[in-house]
Amino acid sequence: MRHLITGQNNCAPDGASSSNPFGALANAVLGQSSKAQSIKELPGPAVGVPSTSDFSTAAPLSTVPGSENEYKQDQRPLARVTVIQNPVILCLPRTPNCPPQRVLSGVLHSFLASGRAGVPFQPVPVPALGLSESEKQCIRDRSCIMARHILADQPEEYIQAQVNTLLHSLDIDNQMRGPMHGPYPEMEEYWKQSQSALRPAPMHNAADNWVTEFGQQSNNPDDWAHSFEQQFGPNGWASEFEQHQSQMAMGQMGGANMANLAAMEQSRMLAQTLASNNDPKFQLSQGADKWASEFSSEHNQGGQSENWINEFSKLNVTDEWAEEFSGGGFGESYADPWADEFQEQLSASRQSSGASRGVYVFSEMNPYVGHPNPMQEGQELFRKGLLSEAILALEAEVLKNSDNAEGWRLLGVTHAENDDDQLAIAAMMRAQEADPRNLEVLLALGVSHTNELEQGEALRYLYRWLQNHPKYGALAPPQSTDTPYGPDIVREAAQMSPDDADVHIVLGVLYNLSREYDKAIAAFKTALQLKPQDYSLWNKLGATQANSVQSADAVLAYQQALDLKPNYVRAWANMGISYANQGLYEDSIRYYVRAVAMNPKADNAWQYLRISLSNASRADMIAACDSRNLDALQKEFPL
Amino acid sequence: MDSSSLKSAQLLEQLRLHLATDAGKELTKKVGLVYQLNIAPKKLGVDEEIYVVDLKKGEVTKGPYQGKPDATFSFTDNDFLGIATGKTNPQMAFIRGAIKIKGSISAAQKFTPDIFPKPAKL
Repeated sequence: MRHLITGQNNCAPDGASSSNPFGALANAVLGQSSKAQSIKELPGPAVGVPSTSDFSTAAPLSTVPGSENEYKQDQRPLARVTVIQNPVILCLPRTPNCPPQRVLSGVLHSFLASGRAGVPFQPVPVPALGLSESEKQCIRDRSCIMARHILADQPEEYIQAQVNTLLHSLDIDNQMRGPMHGPYPEMEEYWKQSQSALRPAPMHNAADNWVTEFGQQSNNPDDWAHSFEQQFGPNGWASEFEQHQSQMAMGQMGGANMANLAAMEQSRMLAQTLASNNDPKFQLSQGADKWASEFSSEHNQGGQSENWINEFSKLNVTDEWAEEFSGGGFGESYADPWADEFQEQLSASRQSSGASRGVYVFSEMNPYVGHPNPMQEGQELFRKGLLSEAILALEAEVLKNSDNAEGWRLLGVTHAENDDDQLAIAAMMRAQEADPRNLEVLLALGVSHTNELEQGEALRYLYRWLQNHPKYGALAPPQSTDTPYGPDIVREAAQMSPDDADVHIVLGVLYNLSREYDKAIAAFKTALQLKPQDYSLWNKLGATQANSVQSADAVLAYQQALDLKPNYVRAWANMGISYANQGLYEDSIRYYVRAVAMNPKADNAWQYLRISLSNASRADMIAACDSRNLDALQKEFPL
Repeated sequence: MDSSSLKSAQLLEQLRLHLATDAGKELTKKVGLVYQLNIAPKKLGVDEEIYVVDLKKGEVTKGPYQGKPDATFSFTDNDFLGIATGKTNPQMAFIRGAIKIKGSISAAQKFTPDIFPKPAKL
């Protein structure tokens, strides 16, 4: 290993210092000192992370957390730490120019991973990264906060030591209070403490987001952090990253707080800019101050800001950052919105980034992986109305057989019923790849895109439905898909076959798109006469009525749907919407709560719940909403 | 309103219908202000479509306001969508420069998600 590292001296990152940092690394880790020796002995059997000190480079690519690794829970820390710590070195042999961002990203990843896995972060001398003062400051402050968060259960000195180690590695002058401890003596002690404190997975993603985001922030247009991750394969970092991002929104304690902290840091830079710029902006923001507090109290979402604030004050941080923050005339209330912004940016970037659109993100920790017949299991669970369980089983199926069109299709349907159109689209796209002419899939894609307000796409899919239909295909004129395409042709088809429920459904969706709601309602009612037991049809009828402000009628239709399928999350959410749109906020709350109780990942419903709570003057329960405290909410708002 | 490729246009259309209902009329009583929205498809300020949400009269129209709106917002399609659905905190968006505001700050403060009816899902 030493040879490997020292043998790559010719890799000269931009602005690298000339000394042999990698030799130093090798020395530090492998050991001249007895302290280093004790590190090697440290990794105990409980977590089983011995190979991290070996930095065996053969490992990383094969241990990239692919789908198999992910579900072996006890091995995950191992896999993760092994992989993460390697790339810092790995980048060097691979390319002649090691971009500073990549190295930085690697180091930051290592730090996070160590904290997460409970392995003390080891100093990693890296070449000078050419960080500017403000960047250094930013890293310093962020890492303090991050460390405090990942290692929140550790004593202050340990946190401090870890941060110092990180900063020292990055050659950042640490002006933090607290002496620079040698990391090694503490490691042994805290290692034992941390063994039982492995952080839950969701922390990981938030931290990774931060790392990636920071890489982006360094004004490097090439997105090193992203490319670094994606480099390891589509099923490795990239999808894991997105997967975690999608789980971010679950608002689990760790994840949400992480977002808060990172957001605070990011926005601190903004605060700095704002504060230093003179009057006009500042004046405006003074005025916005009231708005800030108003909004932060009413519209705060995405994290347990109150808890975070308590935790933060407990830690008694007197960072210069904090002083600057309050000194700049911004009130404490600003703390909350930073988190929201971060949360929102994450979801915005997740949605808008081309790569992540349509990429299916699998759940973590899927107990059905390894099941002998996950497809059958999935179908059974779906029939029973256990949508979230069905999703897991079906995911297990398509992981096994990625070209199982029916598996993907059912997965898409389940997501839609669970009120998640984005995942529904992602799954349906895979179904479509596997079976391009499947009419149900095309219709489902048309519907989901309609829900996502993507009219162009919706029309294209509905058009393809027609084109691929054995009976009506002839009606579809041979035109480019860009030509606007209205319901008229489908109406013709409907006249051809008045007993075909599906063509009426397509018609109904088309009329929704063209906002001819009355015609849409008529079309769905016709279809319902042919298929009165189709709960999804009742929902479509209700939604059309709701969107044409006939909310009272909508409620009746939703009720029919729910009678047929009691666990229909989408219909519960739609119910909530109908009440809220009528200004009946107290009622809407109950329905939203029921929806999120059935699918805790139903983000839209959570957002709407929050709005309703605020409008119903139930700000007392907003904290419960933000922390996704289902017990409290269900108790308070039963149906 | 005539056709637009903006997602926001669809929400605004829904708002327009909503304002004719009882709940919508409540809104005009509660807010009673006129907002002009300059919504850009991708990049702030580029190819904007202008809408007026008149919560005095209870109307939504396309085109600049004939008169002085109480507040004028500039945002992108996605940001407006986020605000209307409660996903985006408007104040945060403002701080990071994603939203531009002209006019009365107190009027701007009242531009909240509960103004907008939520779309039901097919």
